[in-house]
Formats: sequence, C-alpha cells, structure tokens
Amino acid sequence: MPASTQLGSQLVDLCSVLLLLCCFAIVAQRRLSACVDLFALQSAFLAATAALVAFLTGHKHIYFAAALTIVIKVIVLPRILRKVIERLNVSRELGMNINIPAGLLICGALVIIAFFITQPIIPLGYLLTRDSLAIALAIILIGFFTMIARQKAITQMVGFLVMENGVFLGATAAAYGMPLIVELGVFFDVLVAGLIVGIYTHRLQDTFDSVDTSTLTVLKE
Amino acid sequence: MTALLSVLLVWYLLGGLLPLCTTRPHLQNLFAHGCAAAAGVVGIVLGVAGLLSTAPLTLSLASNIPHLTFAIRLDPLAAFFVLTISLVGVAASIYASGYVEEFSGRVSVGLLGSLLNGFLLSMTLVVLADNGFFFLILWEVMSLLSYVLVVTEHEKPGVREAGLFYLIMTHVGTAFIILTLLIFSQETGSFSFEAFRHPDQQLPEGLRSIAFFTALIGFGAKAGIVPLHVWLPYAHPAAPSHISALMSGVMIKTAIYGLIRVYFDFMGGVFPWWWGFTLLVAGTVSALLGVMYALMEHDLKGLLAFHSVENIGIILLGIGAGMIFHTYGLHELAALGLLAGLYHTINHAAFKALLFLGAGALQFSTHTRHIEEYGGLLRRMPWTGAFFLIGAVSIAALPPTNGFVSEWLVFQSLFLSFQLPTLFLKLMLPIAAAMLALTGALALACFAKAFGMSFLAQPRSAHARHATEVPWSMRVGMGFLAGLCIVLGLAPMLVVPLLDRVTAPLTGAAISSQVLALDGWVVAPVTVEFSSISTPVLAMLLVGAGALGLLIARLCGKGLRARYYKTWGCGLNLTPRMEYTATGFAQPIKQVFETIYQPTVKLEQEFLEQSKYFIKHQRFESHIEPVFEKYLYWPVVTLLLATADRLRIIQAGSLHLYLTYIFVTLVLLLLWAG
Amino acid sequence: MQSIIHIVLVVVQLALLLTLSPFVVGLIRKVKARLQCRRGASLFQPYADLAKLFRKQPVISSTTSWIFTAAPYIVFASTVAAGLLMPVFVSHTPLNFAGNIIALVYLLALGTFFLILAGLDAGSAFGGMGSSREAIVATLAEPAMMLSILSIALTAGSTNLSTIVHQSALMEGVVVAPPAHLMALAALFIVTLAETGRVPVDNPATHLELTMIHEAMLLEYSGRYLALMEWAAGIKLLVFMTLIVNVFAPWGIATSLAPSAIAVGLLVYLGKVAALALVIGVIESMFAKLRLFRVPEMLGAAFILSLLALVFFYTLKG
Repeated sequence: MPASTQLGSQLVDLCSVLLLLCCFAIVAQRRLSACVDLFALQSAFLAATAALVAFLTGHKHIYFAAALTIVIKVIVLPRILRKVIERLNVSRELGMNINIPAGLLICGALVIIAFFITQPIIPLGYLLTRDSLAIALAIILIGFFTMIARQKAITQMVGFLVMENGVFLGATAAAYGMPLIVELGVFFDVLVAGLIVGIYTHRLQDTFDSVDTSTLTVLKE
Repeated sequence: MTALLSVLLVWYLLGGLLPLCTTRPHLQNLFAHGCAAAAGVVGIVLGVAGLLSTAPLTLSLASNIPHLTFAIRLDPLAAFFVLTISLVGVAASIYASGYVEEFSGRVSVGLLGSLLNGFLLSMTLVVLADNGFFFLILWEVMSLLSYVLVVTEHEKPGVREAGLFYLIMTHVGTAFIILTLLIFSQETGSFSFEAFRHPDQQLPEGLRSIAFFTALIGFGAKAGIVPLHVWLPYAHPAAPSHISALMSGVMIKTAIYGLIRVYFDFMGGVFPWWWGFTLLVAGTVSALLGVMYALMEHDLKGLLAFHSVENIGIILLGIGAGMIFHTYGLHELAALGLLAGLYHTINHAAFKALLFLGAGALQFSTHTRHIEEYGGLLRRMPWTGAFFLIGAVSIAALPPTNGFVSEWLVFQSLFLSFQLPTLFLKLMLPIAAAMLALTGALALACFAKAFGMSFLAQPRSAHARHATEVPWSMRVGMGFLAGLCIVLGLAPMLVVPLLDRVTAPLTGAAISSQVLALDGWVVAPVTVEFSSISTPVLAMLLVGAGALGLLIARLCGKGLRARYYKTWGCGLNLTPRMEYTATGFAQPIKQVFETIYQPTVKLEQEFLEQSKYFIKHQRFESHIEPVFEKYLYWPVVTLLLATADRLRIIQAGSLHLYLTYIFVTLVLLLLWAG
Repeated sequence: MQSIIHIVLVVVQLALLLTLSPFVVGLIRKVKARLQCRRGASLFQPYADLAKLFRKQPVISSTTSWIFTAAPYIVFASTVAAGLLMPVFVSHTPLNFAGNIIALVYLLALGTFFLILAGLDAGSAFGGMGSSREAIVATLAEPAMMLSILSIALTAGSTNLSTIVHQSALMEGVVVAPPAHLMALAALFIVTLAETGRVPVDNPATHLELTMIHEAMLLEYSGRYLALMEWAAGIKLLVFMTLIVNVFAPWGIATSLAPSAIAVGLLVYLGKVAALALVIGVIESMFAKLRLFRVPEMLGAAFILSLLALVFFYTLKG
C-alpha cells in the first residue's frame, strides 16, 4: 500500500476510534448538558472523518455531506437540545435502567460483537475505511442501547442521534457516502425529529411534571 | 519403590489399627499421629522417587471378582499427587497430636486418629489405582471416611446437616464418575486403566463429549467447581481443623488428578478446543464467585472454604489454557499451562492447609470461629500469627511467595494466547487473565480483612482477650507448612524440573530447559526477553531495600527511641467497639458488586419514649442472596420431592396390591424368559 | 567489567529514584498552587519535610503490633524494588531479568497489602475506613491495569519491560499513534491516578478524615515511619510516571551503554517526567474529587478502554 494511503488509513482509523470514545463517554455521563456537548463533539469528529475520506478518495460530494453535518449536528441540533434542557430545568439523570458500570461493560461487549459480525465482510470493503464499518456498527448498537438504558427523553434523543451518526459513518465507510438526495432526506428527517422531541418533552413536562419516559406507562389504563 | 510402598501401607494400617487396641488417650494419640506422620514421610520419599524414576511402577493383585484387580501404577502424575498428599499429611498429623486435646472427653481420640490414617491411606491409594473398580472402591471409601470425620462433633448444631449435604453431593459426583468409567469400558471391554489408555478403537465423537461432561461434573462436585461448590462452605467449617486442612488441601486435588487423568491420559490428549474453553470458563467463574463470597463470610473457616473454590478455579484456568494450546498443536505452551496448574495445586495444598491449621489454632484458643470476635491476637499468639501471615501473603500471590510464582505462570500461559489461530480465543484468554487479576486483588483484600481483623488492633471479645498460644506440636505442624511455602516460592528451580517430568509424557513436550534460565535462578517461559522472574533475586532486592530504609532511618534518626501512647479516639477512650469490623471492611465491596450479591438489609430501631433521636434498641441483619441454593438446588430438590410424592401412589399399603405386583412381575418374567 | 557497569547503573537508578521522587511531588504541588493563583510552597519543600520527619521522635500507638513498625520498611522496600525493575534512563536495565511487568504490579500490591494492615493495626475507625476504601480502589484498578499492560505487551511482543521499551523506542512505520496505544495510555493514566491516590480518586492534601483514603491509613504514623511511608508514596508515583513515559513516549532513552547515550537518556527522562508532572497537576486542578462510589464507574471506564485497546490491537491493523 502506498505510504499516503497507509497514513490516510491510519488517520481514518484514529478518527473512527475517537468517535467510538465519544460514544462511551456519553454512556458514562450523568449530566444531560455534557451528553449534548459530547454529541456535538462526536459530530465534529464525524465531519472530520468524512472530509478526510473525501480528500483521500476525491469524491467531492462527501465534502457537502460533511458541511451539512457540521451545520445541523454540531450547531443547530445541540442548540435546540440545550434550550430544551434549560427550559425544563433538568440537569442530571439519577435513575437509570442499567447502571453505569454495567452499561459500560455491555457497550464493550457490543463492540466485540460488532467486530465479530463484520469480520467476514471486512476483506470485501474498500481498503481505506474497512475497519470503520465495524466501528460504525458498534456505534449504532451503542446508540440503541443508550435509548434502552436511559430514562430521560433527552438522553434517548441523543441516543437516536448517535445511531444516526453511526449510520452515516457506515455509509461513508462502505460506499464512500450515500447518494446526495438520500443524505439530504436523512438530514431533514433528523432535523424534524429534533424539533418534535423539543415539543414532545415540553408536553411530557406539562402533563407529568417530569421528562421521565417511564411515566408513559401510566397511560396504559 | 515397591519396598517404600509396602512400608507406607504398613504404617498407615498400624496407624489405623493400633489406636483402637488401647484405651489410654495419650497412647491412642501417639500411635495414630505418629504412624500417620511416619507414613507421610515415607510417602514424600516415594513421591519424589516416583517423579524421578524413568519407568512407572506397576503392581497388581488379581481377585475373584470379575473386572476387579487391585492394580497400582505409580507414574509421575500419581507420584506428584502422592507427594502433595504426604506433605500435607505429615503436617496435619503433627498438628493433630496437640489439637485433639480439644476433643478429649467428647470424642474418642483413638477412633479419630484411626479414621485419619484410613482417610490418608485411601487418598494415597486413589491416585495410585490403575483399575476402574478399584478406583471407585477407594474413592467411595475416601468419601465415606471424610464424611464420618466431618461429623465428628455431631452434637453441635448444623454439623449433621453439613455432613449429609456433603454426602449427597459427593455421591452425585461419584455417580457421574461411574458413568464416565462405564463409557470408557464400553469400547475396551474391561475396566483396567491400561486398557483405557490404549483402546482398540476410538470412541465416537458424541460419546467422547458426553464423557467430557460427566467427568467434569463428577470430579467437579468433589473439587468444588461452581455451581457444584455449595457443600464446601458447610462441610469444611464443621469438620475438625486438621481434617478441613486435608479435605481442602488435598482431597479436592484428587479430583484435579481425576480430570487430568481422564482428559490427558485416557483421551490421549485429543480433544476439540471447546473442552479447554469450557474448563477456562468454569475456572474463571469459580475463581471470581469463590472469592466474592469469601469476602462476605465472617466465619473464618467458611471464608477459607470459599477460597478453595477460588483456587480450584485458578488451577482450572491453567489446565484449560493448556488444553486449548494442546488442541492447536502448541505442545510447549500446553505443557506450560498444565505445569502452571499443577504448580498451583501443590502451592494451594501448602498454603491452604497452613491457613486451615491456623484457623484451627485460633478456634482452639478462643473457642469461636467468628472473625468479629477475634482481634489483637498477634500479641497473644505470635507464632500462629506469623505462620498465618505467611499463608495469607502466599494466597494473595504476593512476591516472593509460592502463590506468586504459580499465578505468574498462569498469567504467562494466558498471555501467550497470541499464538492461537482464532480471534475469539485470542480475545477470551486475555479477558480471563484480567478476571484472574481481579480475583487476585479481591483475594488480597479478603486476606487483609481476615488477618487484620483477627490479629491486629484490640480484642473484640472476652474469648480473644484470654487467648493463649497453642501447644508446640500445633506450631511445628504449621511451621512445617510455612517453611514449605517459602521453599516452593524461593526455589522454583527445584520444583519446575519435577513438574516437567509430570507434564512431559502428558503433552509431549519437555520444557524444563526452556522454562529455567541462568542456571535455574530465573523462571523464563519461552525466553528471557519475553518474560522472566527470579524470586530469589526479588527476595534479596526486598531485603536489601528494607535494610537501606532501616539504614537511612537510623542515620537520620540519631538513635531516637519511639514513645508509646494510646491511639487518639476523638477525645474518648478507645474501645474495641470503635474498631472497624469485618462487615464494615467488606461493605464497599458489597455495594460495588451488589448485582452479584443481591444484599438485603434489615434494620429495626426502637427509640426512647422521650425523644426520637436517641435509640434504645437496635437490630441489624444483613444477608446475601444464596443464588445457587435458591435458584438451582431448591427447584431440583422440590421437583424430586414432588415426583416422589406422585410415585407414592404405588405404595397403597394393601397386601393384596403388593401380591398383585409380585404376581404380574413373575408372569412377565416367565413370558420374557420363554 | 560488564558487571561493574551494571552495578553502577543500578546504584545510579536507585539514587535517582530516591532523590527525584520528592521533587516530583513538590512540582505537582507547585503546579496546582499556581493554578489556584497561589505562590505555593517551594519546589524542594518535600525534601525539608522528609528531613524534619526523620529527625523527630516517633510516637507509636500502644494497641499496635510489630506489623505497624515493620510495614513502613516493607512498603518502602517493595516500592524501591519495583522501581529497580523498571527501565528508567537505559532501556536494558540490569535487574530487569528479576521481574517483568506483572512482577512489578504484584510488588506494588505487596506494599498495598501491608499498608492496609497498618491502617487496621491502630484500632481507630479512621484507619479502618482508609484500609477498606483502599481495598476497593486497588481491587478495581487491577483488571484495567492488567489488560492495558497486556495490550502494550502484545504490541511489543513481550512482557519484559526492557524489551517493551526497547521495541517502542525503535518502532518505525507508524507515524500516527495506533488506536490501541491511545486506549491503553488512557486506561493506564486513569489507573495511575487511582493507584497513587491523586484527584479525582483521592485528595492527597485533604485534612478531613472522611475524605481520606491514603492519608487515613497513615494517620497514626509519625517520625521516621511517616517519612518512609511518604517517601514510598512518592516513589510509587514516580514508578507509575516512569512506566507511562517510557512505554508510550520512549524516544530519547539510552538504547546502548555508551556514556553519551546515557547522559542524553537521563536528561530526556527528567524532561519527560517534569512534563508529565505538569499534566497531572493540571488534571488534578480540573476535576473535583469523586465520591467513593463513583470511583468504580471511572475504573470501569478504564477497564473498557483497556478492553478496547486489546480488541483494536487484534482488529485494526492499518
């Protein structure tokens, strides 16, 4: 492998690993504002990875996707979420369905599982980003896990957004980016979802005086 | 060697019969323990001779019963176990001559001594047996004798239940062992172990796997592998201390002998990777759960019993790793893993027996087994304390003791996993190593608690305040084992070549020359560049650095003598109630691992009528969920009882019904025979 | 001739460990003071403290046994012995055949064991509390330490410290830090903070007994015993720092026994240790001390990081 591709591949690996570290940091966090900040940081790393892949492979449309990531996921969405947190006056998540050390261990196991699943596929992928596919799958799984393990609606939203980050990374790794139309569609979906969550947590707070989604079970009767 | 064996048998038989011939307790004591100790010394010589000899010794005596021959085979594996048994036997016998005074009047000393000799003899012969039936007979004798010894103090509450539980578990295990031997005899047509080793045709794959599991369950019930370990914390505290030492130090090792014999010898060392992996998982789980439950135990002997479960787990880690390497043809690594497991076997025998004898000494002096009632005993029982400390440091695997050497070897064999082909195993073995590190750290915490609460600070009860040092015979017994621990730790260059003679025929690789470097001063698996330790040099470094510290202190201190004063108790007089308790010491660990312990706490408080801030009466109860008993054993027992209840229908009590049963059976038999 | 050089190297290493550790402690304190807008004590204050303590008459509690007076010497001995096994300024330190990285970890554990016993010996509740907390922290740090060490060992193909450092110093072809290394470094750093009793696990400057872990075990010590214990704590900190700088940033270490290489190695080592002391001081000032039952979360994170290091070593290979 030529030296530049090797260097590039190492850099892409490094960025993907930093993305994964942000995931773990989110799982280990109690403070909601820290979760949102970490998500913004993760999206920044994601944009950097996308830009790097664009630079190394010459596919210009990935630059556009990276720019869109920065605008929406690093600036707009975190701002919406922070406003919601401020208005609802919740700062920490004390009761969790699965406590932090157990959660971290499960996430570790999810990473190992992700690597095992993608092992047969990896040799078929593009040389530059094939390890990122495993990391992308791990991020998706961890995002999903966060939605299950946490009770506050805002952290669940962050989990969903992390999943979306994982999907984007996977698409960049496996196919050097999705067709632009699909990208735009996904971004709009995410933006709308963010707005809906903003409204929805407000309604939750008004009705139940808390943003604990487990209180929704009261509606069963 | 035949002569040695006969002398051994004679001494044990004398020790078994002579005490029953006299009625004077002193003579009974002398005969029983003297003969046992003498036999033990002969056993040590026999063991070493067997290890060093080039050809195994075989003897056999035919009998009239079909399939049963009294066949004995002393090969290096058997010799190693004979050595281990005899070493602990000598120490326990010497110790027992002073210890049995506690039983004088309540229990017949002669009977106790005679049974001790029988027990030691049966254990020695079990590892020597070369015929399936003979093995089973001896195994059963060993189990029954140990049961009788466990219920020595049957008038005390709980002892009989403990003995019964042990009896049932050991027979469940024996049933599975019988199954295993039956499977082997199917293909060879005889019960001789020699035939098992050289079968005419190989067993089909399915039967081999079944044999693997039955052997694991059968020997596992005796060894105390989780979840078959539940009898250990009841039986070991109930038994007299020298018997607990023998049971925990040697009897459960005979199960390890059985496992190695079945997997490496009978199956010819041919097995799929998942066998070794199962052993690895079983070992990791046993090690972790054993030490975790040990931390919550406050009966000193129960604590030590759980630690036996932990150490069996560590031994299985070494053997499991060895098996995995063997499957992939890495014979030298397999030999290393097996050697690490065997080294830990003899180390554990030494320090666990030492610790049990120490616990017995504490019980002898204070008449209680609860750590919460000890305290400050190091000043009252300095020798016991020093020996117990050596045992505690060894079991916590701290350098330069023997526990450190064997645990280090287990780590090394797990670290060498990068030579394995599959990613799964390459990840799982290091994770097992991390779990072993956690276990080691928990064991350190547990023995800091055990030693600290028992021997340090102030006495917490009247028992402890009036404790005195134990008789010299008990001290000699403990000292012998403490010395053995030190020798096994500082002289691996003596132990490794002997163990190599055991592992070489089983794995096909002799690694002694590779494991020892620099004329034996260094243990270096693979090469010195890869990893090495030298316990003598470490010991010298420690002593040297300590001396340096002493020197600096003397030079700078200008000979200042220390002044003694009371500990500051925040203005109050320091009472034993202010000291940390064992429960308190282990509380953070209980809270961190509460998913495993599932602790329940009950607090009842009664306040004074005048004010709700002053407590008149307080009651605190803390329990740990007995997971295995509640979720595994009780359902099985309930199911059995329910089934038995249903079957009771056939016992209607009517004479006519019983006659009808006999009549119908007779008719059916006549029809079938015809 | 060779053996004389070896003996000289060992003596120099010993002297370096003994004399540098108080300075490192003083440097960290100075950094923290400056970040708190104070002038702080002199950089050489710990030396003065040690000298003062050695010259004072020790007061020993009457409830203690010989363990209490022996423990400082054992802790000091085990820490110094661990320090002598490490490569400090020469990659092939003469005594490294006596123990590899696992032996080092367990030697430090020997010190921890006797420290815990010493805390229990005086019979006061504070000592017991310190011992109990130290037990849980040390226990949880072990798996993370073992796995991160293993990841490092796998990268170098050996668990022998000298070989690891030598291999790392000569490593070519890797311009960007491999992710496995980064994870192992992060895990080992967290473990260092836990094992040496630094914020956010334990506050070394606290005076409140309820917030102490390490200090609580030393509460009853005075005079030369306290001096030895404090010195041993400093040496333990230096050992961990040396481990981190020499394994993860080994450039400049002397790979041969040439005098020029050794001189360069010494200077580079001093510089690296000072830099790491600065980093530790900054990190200690950034975070608040954690509640005791939040520490397992942090150490659990360290364990996961080291597990990831292992996974990444086997899966991400450039």
